[in-house]
Amino acid sequence: MNLKKFIVPAIVLAMGTASFSAYAAEKVVKIGNILPLSGPSASVGIQGKQAREMAVDEINKAGGIKALGGAKLKLLFADSKGDPTTGVTETERFISTEKVAMLTGAWNSSVTYPATQVAERYGVPFVVEVSVRDTITERGFKNVFRIAAKDSWWTRDQFRFLSDMQKEFKTPIKKVAFVYENGDWGTGFAEKWRGLAKAAGYQVVLDEPYPSTASDLTPVVLKLKRSNPDVVFMTSNAADAILLTKTMTDLKVNVKAIVTSGGGHADPSYLAAVGKSAEYLFDIVEWETDLNRPGLKETNEKFKKLYGYNLTGEAVDAYASMYLVKDVLERAKSTDPNALRKALASTKLCGGKTGLLAYNCIQFDQTGQNKNASLVIVQVRSGKDGKMERITVWPKNVRRAGYKVVFPQPNK
Amino acid sequence: MIGYIESVINGILMGSIYGLTAVGLTLIFGVMKVVNFAHGSILMVGMFAAYWFITLTGLNPYLALVVVVPLLYFFGYYMQKIVIKPIFEAEKHVREPITVIIVTTGIWYVLDNLALLVFGAEFRVAQTSVTGKMIDIAEMYFPVAKLIGAGITFLLGVYLYWFLKHSRMGKAVRATSLDREAATLMGIKQSRIYNIVFGMGCACCGVAACVLVPFYYVYPTVGVPFDIKAFVIVVLGGLGSIPGAILGGIIIGIIETVGAQFMAATWTEMLIYAFFLVVLFVKPSGLFGLRQDY
Repeated sequence: MNLKKFIVPAIVLAMGTASFSAYAAEKVVKIGNILPLSGPSASVGIQGKQAREMAVDEINKAGGIKALGGAKLKLLFADSKGDPTTGVTETERFISTEKVAMLTGAWNSSVTYPATQVAERYGVPFVVEVSVRDTITERGFKNVFRIAAKDSWWTRDQFRFLSDMQKEFKTPIKKVAFVYENGDWGTGFAEKWRGLAKAAGYQVVLDEPYPSTASDLTPVVLKLKRSNPDVVFMTSNAADAILLTKTMTDLKVNVKAIVTSGGGHADPSYLAAVGKSAEYLFDIVEWETDLNRPGLKETNEKFKKLYGYNLTGEAVDAYASMYLVKDVLERAKSTDPNALRKALASTKLCGGKTGLLAYNCIQFDQTGQNKNASLVIVQVRSGKDGKMERITVWPKNVRRAGYKVVFPQPNK
Repeated sequence: MIGYIESVINGILMGSIYGLTAVGLTLIFGVMKVVNFAHGSILMVGMFAAYWFITLTGLNPYLALVVVVPLLYFFGYYMQKIVIKPIFEAEKHVREPITVIIVTTGIWYVLDNLALLVFGAEFRVAQTSVTGKMIDIAEMYFPVAKLIGAGITFLLGVYLYWFLKHSRMGKAVRATSLDREAATLMGIKQSRIYNIVFGMGCACCGVAACVLVPFYYVYPTVGVPFDIKAFVIVVLGGLGSIPGAILGGIIIGIIETVGAQFMAATWTEMLIYAFFLVVLFVKPSGLFGLRQDY
């Protein structure tokens, strides 16, 4: 009896020590992540953190980085608060104190912009998973790689979508109208639309900025109706998106398609407020939960079980960024920044866990921009329960299985 | 051509509803000489009341008038009695009580943030029997809700005019507005008149709210865009003048709608203020304001 009393704790102790020493001997690769974990963008920052944790957990459980003797990934998080100065300080700390192998982040373009500058100075590779500002990858940097589509691609893809639709449905489009809020965002989009319309040979019949705070948008809609376009491009915040959609339905503005730019049109309260008035509208987004991608359903279920909500565009990009880090480490076979940079530049990561994205492969161009990154276009339709639904329709390879796109939309 | 006629009529319709939102403001100012900064928030309270009434009962949206208008009348009556009156009394001898303006600003913030806490920031749209209904006259479309709204504005204007000119209470209100002290000497209880006028001003917001809800969304700061317009309208039409407020509203509505047919909508905002400045320059008391200061 006495012996048994002694042996059991001894074995437990021995096992504990053994596992502890095994842990200590195990190689660890530190990845520094800068995210807005508090402040106005906290919700997306936390989505990014949780998605990374899930991915890294999977990678470590599957045996870590095999090329580095099964080294485990270790995530370090820093809260940027969405503030550029804090982001820069944390980047410096990660590089000089924590000696991270790679950096990722930082969601807010305003933080990513200076933080990547720091990484470039120290020569540490920085994977930008979401920030969209064009100039982030347009400074000739060697260490900055972006997964997400950049800002100017939103308008580009809206026009690509339109030309694809024309081909698919053999409906020619000649006249386009632009209706946009008169802030930085709306006017920026309009500027790009003008160039794209000219290149595609469309006739611009209306180019109308309006104040987002307007109490009545009937005048704008009357003007739109009179200009009689085939397709309307819109950039709106939530309140004005509601007013415009309802007024367009009321005044029976008949067009072949309405193409919107996320923002207010992607706000959940928008669909709840306008209901059927939004039927057939096309909206552009980074990602949608109903994408027709292998393994997406299972991953989403796992994510939902862990954190209680569906995957988002931000979360999927962050999730993919961790598999990209793994892939790069496997190919570089070291944590030397030069080797990592070379491996990143020659990335061709297809399928697998990155297959949740709307496109097939991650591949970087000379500037470090993922050249395959794309956006998706959804069509708003009323579901069986009368609730409005966003259904992915473009690009064609991710279109919801069995869905028939309505183009041109029927007259009101 | 037909498009411009459509624009003008739509401008008149929306403009008269702008006027309606401004009537309460001008009434309160005319009598109490207080600019009520909480005006837009009171409109918001009315809109939420109307929204919930319509959504929960599913009745005709204009039946909400029967509930919302008295509700807002008492809301205003007691707000004046409990919150504003003590401040007023402290400033009894000042001709234009500035502190009261600050109190109304406080009420504005309290109401807006309270609504944000209780109802959340989302936009709500009531589905009513007139929502989205249009009248089609010679290929011109007019929203039924706005036509009814313009009709209600007209009726309210006539009623208020009659009330102030001919009813006994109206005469007391006018007397107080002309000369507080003389009116008090004639046996008119000033504080009671103030309670009633504030209540009526809020009741007018209630009417405007019931007119707006069938075609407009409701959210906690919905009062703000209307508030700014109401101030411009009231000064344009002449502070304290009810026909001035309604006509001022119609003028703004026409400028906004017709102007937008010739230029980008961004510019019409500028046009409204430019017109406003010209009127102030030529006729500082507003289009229908009295020459002398009352």
